[in-house]
Amino acid sequence: MFSAEMLASAIRLAVPIIITGCGAIYSERSGVVNIGLEGMMIAGAFAGAAGTVFWGPYVGILVGMAAGVALALVHAVASINFRVDQIVSGTAINILAYGLVRFSAISIFRMATTTPHVDSLPKVTIPGLAAIPWLRPIFANLSPLVLVAFLLVPFSWWLLYRTVYGLRLRSVGEHPLAAETLGVDVYLMKYAGVLTSGALAGLAGAYLSVEHTGMYVEGMTQGLGFISLAAMIFGNWMPAGAMWAGLLFGFAQALSLRLVAGTIPYQFIRMIPYLLTIVVLAGWVRRTRPPATVGQPYERGEAL
Amino acid sequence: MKAQSVTKAKRKRPRGWFTVLEVSSPVLAVLFAMLVASIALLAIGKNPLQVYGTMVAFCLGRADSVVNILYKATPLIFAGIAVAIGFRASLFNIGVEGQYAIGATCAAIVGFSLKGLPALVHLPLTILAGMLGGALWALVPIWLKVKRGVHEVITTIMLNHTAYLLVHYLIAGPFMDKTQVIGAGGAGSPRVRMPEILASARMPELRGFLESLGISMPQHSSVNWFLVLGLLAAVLYWYFIWRTPLGLEVRAVGHNPKAAEAAGIPPGAVALKAFLLSGAVAGLVGLSDLLGYFGYFDIDFPKGYGFTGIAVALVGRNGALGIVLASLLFGFLSRGGLGVQVLERVPMETYYILQGLIILCIVIATDVLRRYMRAQEKREEAAADV
Repeated sequence: MFSAEMLASAIRLAVPIIITGCGAIYSERSGVVNIGLEGMMIAGAFAGAAGTVFWGPYVGILVGMAAGVALALVHAVASINFRVDQIVSGTAINILAYGLVRFSAISIFRMATTTPHVDSLPKVTIPGLAAIPWLRPIFANLSPLVLVAFLLVPFSWWLLYRTVYGLRLRSVGEHPLAAETLGVDVYLMKYAGVLTSGALAGLAGAYLSVEHTGMYVEGMTQGLGFISLAAMIFGNWMPAGAMWAGLLFGFAQALSLRLVAGTIPYQFIRMIPYLLTIVVLAGWVRRTRPPATVGQPYERGEAL
Repeated sequence: MKAQSVTKAKRKRPRGWFTVLEVSSPVLAVLFAMLVASIALLAIGKNPLQVYGTMVAFCLGRADSVVNILYKATPLIFAGIAVAIGFRASLFNIGVEGQYAIGATCAAIVGFSLKGLPALVHLPLTILAGMLGGALWALVPIWLKVKRGVHEVITTIMLNHTAYLLVHYLIAGPFMDKTQVIGAGGAGSPRVRMPEILASARMPELRGFLESLGISMPQHSSVNWFLVLGLLAAVLYWYFIWRTPLGLEVRAVGHNPKAAEAAGIPPGAVALKAFLLSGAVAGLVGLSDLLGYFGYFDIDFPKGYGFTGIAVALVGRNGALGIVLASLLFGFLSRGGLGVQVLERVPMETYYILQGLIILCIVIATDVLRRYMRAQEKREEAAADV
């Protein structure tokens, strides 16, 4: 059961969680809860596959990211400028994404729930590591986005903890008034955080449809956007933490795919990721600390 | 001096105008959402005015549409109340979706398995089972919230997915009706559904009652007594929030938990009670379809009422009358979506686009209104100071 194939499968399933979870860090560190990630993933999955049908996978994946950004823009305007309840806005985004995707699927492909099959990006093999026979399943014939996901983790850490931009972004989530006093454009940083999370959720969605499945299928995200949020929380709002949590969830999913043949009804096995999410959030495994003002709207000059 | 000027400003404030704005803002928000949705209609080469015109004509010009809107509004009244009870206590119950799936399953099981009971006992028992199922499914997230401080949103969403899987297992496993097959003569493959709910647990249609009042009913109608129960639930909800001690506590905790605690109200216990009540009402959401129309529970049981319930509660501003009117609005949009699909070849998914946009426009309108009123108050204060 704990073979290299199993691990490879866990990694493939962890990729969308790692990408979306990293994206969620940008949004939450800037103080905005983005529960619309699920909808942005759905939009990215559909737009990515649709774009690939017309222009090939490279452009297609960019189209998927653009779809995520477009929905994130709506969330940003609503939650930053109009300071609406971020959970309500995110829920609206999820419903809107569901409707828009079905509407577009019918209008473009005359099918409500799928797109045609699409080509994926050319696969890559990591030289050296893939030459070792028992590691081959993990390092050979990878989607390039797997590499992107694992490079995104150190890059995000560097950006958030070693650059002025990262310091500003985090300061806006911890103490926006202090940040504004020091000349940081609070709204701009929040916009950057939310739009980044949308772009990455769109990328994760495009990975699911273009790279993982080879087409868009309705319901393919299966709550992954929310699971990514949980992974981010479990990872204590840190990129590496989100990665390890993402791998844990990926492993749980890979396990559930393999257990199907057993005696336990498959419905119970498929509950594992959801129940694991609840257990993780309950803090029985570890305690975490969110950014101080996450979820609270900020009004420019409110306290001045 | 300051205090005096504030009281003076209060007296001069145009209360009536604010009320007009507050009442009309949901209407304006809905209209604005329809305007934005026009972009999608224009993108597929349709004339939005014609599409909306067809929607109105189809919904209001035919008796069967009017009756169907009432039928579609019925589950939404319960869903809206369930979400609104949560909102009142500052809790966001996205889990209505899973709670009504479990509630309907429990009701279906009681409905087909308890034999030999008179309808007067069986039907209330079945409804009670639905409420218990919904409350049970709400217990875990609120317990985690109160005891462990876990935000209810992600846990309830995870439990929605879990509920679908559990329900699927129950339909296809222990409670599957093995006698049901697709195709005549029993030659086909098995149909995945539960046994037929007994007549003693079915909810009668409103047809007979309405016809006895002299109202002529269209040939096809499934509007049933759950509509009346829904209206009754709205009245009870109003009474609960404004006239009972727990309702007062719920409002206090929802408004300011710290102040409530200082006043001797335990926020945890109040949140627990409110959320369980929300879950119990959520357990009623699916029963109009189950006991008043389908008569059995299967995999294609309608989904999504829980999410629409969020929109209903927001549009209705958590008020009893508002929820009923908002339920009718979404019943109208749902029926209208079907109409334009058939008559105008516009995908009925426009309904979901509108739903998302309406939620956004409502909450944005609330913020704009709040800002406007505050600016107005400041202006008056300034004027009063002079």
